[in-house]
Amino acid sequence: MPPMLPDFSNSVKLKYVKLGYQYLVNHIITLTLVPIMLGVSIEILRLGPQEILNLWNSLHFNLVQILCSAFLIIFVATVYFMSKPRTIYLVDYACFKPPVTCRVPFATFMEHSRLILKNNPKSVEFQMRILERSGLGEETCLPPAIHYIPPKPTMEAARGEAELVIFSAMDSLFKKTGLKPKDIDILIVNCSLFSPTPSLSAMVINKYKLRSNIKSFNLSGMGCSAGLISIDLARDLLQVHPNSNAVVVSTEIITPNYYQGNERAMLLPNCLFRMGGAAILLSNRRSERRRAKYRLVHVVRTHKGADDKAYRCVFEEEDKEGKVGISLSKDLMAIAGEALKSNITTMGPLVLPASEQLLFLLTLIGRKIFNPKWKPYIPDFKQAFEHFCIHAGGRAVIDELQKNLQLSTEHVEASRMTLHRFGNTSSSSLWYELNYIESKGRMKKGDRVWQIAFGSGFKCNSAVWKCNKTIKTPIDGPWTDCIDRYPVHIPEIVKL
Amino acid sequence: MELSLPRVLFLKCVTFCYICKRTVVSTKPIEPGKYMTFSVLDRCMEKNHIRMVYYYQSSLGEGEFGKMTKNLRETLSEMLNYYPMVTGRLVRDSEEKWKVKCNDAGVRVVEAKAKGSVEEWLKNVDSEKEHMLVYWEDMYHKPYYWSTFYVQITEFEEGGLAIGLSCFHLLADYTSATNFLKAWSDISLGNKITVLPLFHPLPSTRKRISNHHPYFELINHYKSSIERPIPIKEEKYTIISLGFSHQMVNACISKAQFNGPSGPITMTPFEALAGLFWASISNIKGLQNGLIDMSICLDARKLLGLDYGFFGNTMIYNKVHANGNLEGNIFVQATRYIREVVAKMDNEGIMDLIEWLEKNEMNSPRMINGPDLICVSLENVEPYLSVFEDWLKPLRVSCYIEPVLGEGQVLILPGTPEEGPLSRVVMVTLKEDEAIKLFEDDLISQFSPTIFMKC
Repeated sequence: MPPMLPDFSNSVKLKYVKLGYQYLVNHIITLTLVPIMLGVSIEILRLGPQEILNLWNSLHFNLVQILCSAFLIIFVATVYFMSKPRTIYLVDYACFKPPVTCRVPFATFMEHSRLILKNNPKSVEFQMRILERSGLGEETCLPPAIHYIPPKPTMEAARGEAELVIFSAMDSLFKKTGLKPKDIDILIVNCSLFSPTPSLSAMVINKYKLRSNIKSFNLSGMGCSAGLISIDLARDLLQVHPNSNAVVVSTEIITPNYYQGNERAMLLPNCLFRMGGAAILLSNRRSERRRAKYRLVHVVRTHKGADDKAYRCVFEEEDKEGKVGISLSKDLMAIAGEALKSNITTMGPLVLPASEQLLFLLTLIGRKIFNPKWKPYIPDFKQAFEHFCIHAGGRAVIDELQKNLQLSTEHVEASRMTLHRFGNTSSSSLWYELNYIESKGRMKKGDRVWQIAFGSGFKCNSAVWKCNKTIKTPIDGPWTDCIDRYPVHIPEIVKL
Repeated sequence: MELSLPRVLFLKCVTFCYICKRTVVSTKPIEPGKYMTFSVLDRCMEKNHIRMVYYYQSSLGEGEFGKMTKNLRETLSEMLNYYPMVTGRLVRDSEEKWKVKCNDAGVRVVEAKAKGSVEEWLKNVDSEKEHMLVYWEDMYHKPYYWSTFYVQITEFEEGGLAIGLSCFHLLADYTSATNFLKAWSDISLGNKITVLPLFHPLPSTRKRISNHHPYFELINHYKSSIERPIPIKEEKYTIISLGFSHQMVNACISKAQFNGPSGPITMTPFEALAGLFWASISNIKGLQNGLIDMSICLDARKLLGLDYGFFGNTMIYNKVHANGNLEGNIFVQATRYIREVVAKMDNEGIMDLIEWLEKNEMNSPRMINGPDLICVSLENVEPYLSVFEDWLKPLRVSCYIEPVLGEGQVLILPGTPEEGPLSRVVMVTLKEDEAIKLFEDDLISQFSPTIFMKC
């Protein structure tokens, strides 16, 4: 755990010193320009208009020089505008709202566990303890195939779940944006654990009769951070293809991956993963500038796969009885912390204000040159972002990040409440969290959002968005009927 | 613990098979920490369970069947919001008595399909076949994981549907179970529930001024059933079902009519039919001029001033004494005895019983329907009002109160409304050889019953 600065920041005086320092450093250019401008204008006034005219005539310009300068300026301007990356707009997105009949209360989950694992009461006990501390609520949903006793995870059922989730989200997206299926130029679908042939993107193309020259991609096996990988891919494609629309579908299909064995490390995902999905419309068209909700500012991807421990951290394998499940290692949190550190090291210079970067640089130099015992300075990311969407991987993940980044309860509220209401919906959880913030009416124009996702590999990916227009409540989405009940207090342990 | 569905014989599998089993929960989560306790009348029914089957004709075309079951599950989900007791699980309280923890666990739903149409099925049905349409599991070793209610939805490939509902008698009696189904049908039609369930204790006995002579007969009957050991007979029972039309029931009533001190006394359909079957069964069992031991059972909601929506048990049992040798028409005598007992079962008498049971909690009977022949009146509710979306009224409704461990059981249910308000369906549980004799008995056949279910 990274150590914190000595805590004399309670002192009010120091707070004002800090504010003053930040204002000084962040606006240094303005502050240096203002006296220069003042000096120049005073000089001009002193000289008087006649003097200025004489000064102007003394400069001998001939036509060639003027033309060359003009061309140079135009050339530089053109090169600048041409090489500027296209702005990627997030026009809108839609999250899948699971049907109420798929709801799984704790008691039902435990009962089914007990009936299926009747020869292993210890495994059932373990699942109960996980569920009690998980931070999930009583309204999370599992797909219909898992409701059977015993569960029936057939391929047909998995396809059924995929159709339900993806088509629902896409219909919702079409309705919200007025997008016509024929206008989709790029389609990216990411689903880590279910990868049939033909792919899920082919399934979407078939259902909505998309164009034959569509650029479609299907990402599988990339874990919970695949949503941001898809966004990154869409961004790169939208740089190459002008005037295009890209639809990204992020989901996780639970049906085929319900572990039916007894290994404890593999039972954990059963307790946390729930049904969910999201469809996002990205565009580089200038006409979308007005109505787009967000602009994509940065995407930073960090992969720790080179390290063996990180690679085996989340591993799909067969247990002793030959049943396939996803094994989570005990060092998961430590590795996540490392990956996060790596990510924010790259992210920091891109987003932090000059004041924070200067402080970080000074403490770094100090530690290297003067005294290695100086505590490293953790930049205050709260100054770079108004909202945080931390992947709702589990309560431990959110707690860890809250501690590491020194975030307040309100900053992590979106993540905690999404975990409570929808469970861990894998790559789409970031979108539910963003929707929570919007539903609460907290999203104003100019607000910056940081989405952080962790995934198998081990990866840590971040995306930074800037809000393009204030979003007015009430909005249509998965939180519509329950936003008034949130935030709820989630007890440490729910007694089952 | 029952995990997989029972294997059906090859032959039967051709006509019927189970599809799946799952749990259906309510649409809204329940506030944790709620418990519901049972009354003394509930606790008398601890060893019993009820099974009901409703048959429907479908107006939908073929290929729509999966959709019907799906709609039914969704409406069931919605309806369960009003029944937190049904979706809860049994736990023992500090005094080792049962109570329900409303933990939102849900009810088990089994889906099945059968070949042929529902009309064909009804022509050849017997009790064994009918039992396939209503799923039940006996209590597990760990009752916390045991569902107290089971719903089975069977689709007939060539048209029709059967809904089977079984429940633990501790939680609900026939009236409550029928209202449960009615509530479900209301929701499926998109309406509000007409008879909302009410969960509250029985009327309090504390404020009573009991300076009257308590009605000891009821109390004695309950007392004696504690002292009697619960019989564990290994007999094979069969259940038959007979339908009596409006005119025939009228005829039966007029035959039983007698002149009392203040004019002619007319029997209720229950009294008349119960007397008829009592006399007939006594005859079959060999008593030429006598009557075997019999108890009647009535729904006491009205007598206790309770709304029909009261969810729980209000079935009161009482012994009918046939004193000495009977002369004259045994049937008429039987109905008179029944009449006497019914008249004495008034509010005061029942409240006395409740008071006695509450005072003697430790020694309450666990199974009140013991070795006698039992005649149960189930006429107070109208099961044929349970109309589900798209379908017509129920074609037929059957009911079983199990287990039967004594001489037999006679359940008197209302008939379909088209037959008239006095029409009745009688379901009789007897040993197999006795049931066959019942068909040939003159007393019964003089009223030309329709045979709905043979042995």
